[in-house]
Amino acid sequence: MPTPVHLPASISARTADTSILACNRLIERGGDALVDASLLRFADPFGMALLGATFHMVQAQGRAISVRGLHHAIAGYLHRMDVFRAVELIDSTPQLNDRRERSDALVELTRLHHRRQVDEAAYRLAVTLIGSIPGVDANAPPDEMTGYTAFDRLVEPIQYALGELLENALTHGRRQGFGDACVWVASQYYRKSGLIRLGVVDNGCGFLATLRNHPDLRRQDHLEAILTALRPRISCNRDLRFGMESVNQGVGLTTVARIAEHAGGRLTIVTGNAIHDTVGRSRALLGGAFWQGVAIGVVCRRDRLPGIRFSELLPPYTGARPQLRFE
Amino acid sequence: MRSHISINRYAHGHLVGARSTAAPLREQVEEALAGGGEMVFDFSKVEATQSFIDELVGVLILRHGPDVLARLVFKSCSDDVRAIIEFVAADRCDQYIKAHSH
Repeated sequence: MPTPVHLPASISARTADTSILACNRLIERGGDALVDASLLRFADPFGMALLGATFHMVQAQGRAISVRGLHHAIAGYLHRMDVFRAVELIDSTPQLNDRRERSDALVELTRLHHRRQVDEAAYRLAVTLIGSIPGVDANAPPDEMTGYTAFDRLVEPIQYALGELLENALTHGRRQGFGDACVWVASQYYRKSGLIRLGVVDNGCGFLATLRNHPDLRRQDHLEAILTALRPRISCNRDLRFGMESVNQGVGLTTVARIAEHAGGRLTIVTGNAIHDTVGRSRALLGGAFWQGVAIGVVCRRDRLPGIRFSELLPPYTGARPQLRFE
Repeated sequence: MRSHISINRYAHGHLVGARSTAAPLREQVEEALAGGGEMVFDFSKVEATQSFIDELVGVLILRHGPDVLARLVFKSCSDDVRAIIEFVAADRCDQYIKAHSH
């Protein structure tokens, strides 16, 4: 019988160090994987996307995964979130009804592999998340002035943020020999706190590999790469170059951070051995934890989303303005 | 001659978002512009991400220079879409001019 890998009590952005350490052990250990989940009591969308990515990578190595000791209080929830696809559960029967009776809205873990899936997936995930929030009516009449419904005003910032994060993962993340990288996304609305949480995790090359030759990268380390990627107009491919699949203005990640900020929230970004929180906490991951790729947790207040205007999220521009023809 | 593109056709909900959606659209625009005339982008009832506008308009500027803007018309834009177009156009014109000033 393989030596078990113990999951911590919480798999989440808040406990990124211990969550990623457990994932590292699962990926690196040879043979079939045995997971001891007897301590696990909480997982947020960041943690679920992380687990989903880890299970996928273990299975891609041809290794089977068994999970034992899962507490019934969380078994149904994780099963409902589709975290345990092709995973054997030992001594645990998920109680699906437990989760359905709760009022928190959640959207199952989803894996994307192609850039062309991004627009449709971002919209579907945002609509599913917002549509499952109690009291939000997708069929309410639109505002006569704007033509938009309250539902639209909630969906669009989430759709915008998801689209940017997913497309970043499937473009930048696939450089430097990581052409098969995927991205996992999960989301949930927590009724009691009024918070929306998103988790977007890829297994690509990470920020440092994409920005390694950028002149604005002052140090060749993962934390510096995160801070550089968050600065507007920083991208590995801002210029048109022969053979480049696309360009990038270097504003997408900054805009997602500002969506979260305007909605009273923040981003937690992990890549390599570094973690940064957009409220200002930056450090190396503890215990030697290392994520190959980028893992992002977004948290924001649902009640602040309708007030977001995309034009207010743009970086300041003070240069000359060209003549444009608007009709 | 004027060609029209209704951007709303490419939206999911009320938003056009991904670069991968804008890129094939821009290729159509480049083909139409190569034949002369101008292109009208109709943004009725649709919002757009900065990435979408950059892939559609910003890349046109980087490839063909700021003069291409004289052949583009932006119709029925919301305040947000208008602000994003202004930002992208200004940033990419600035980048093009700096790259070609030596």
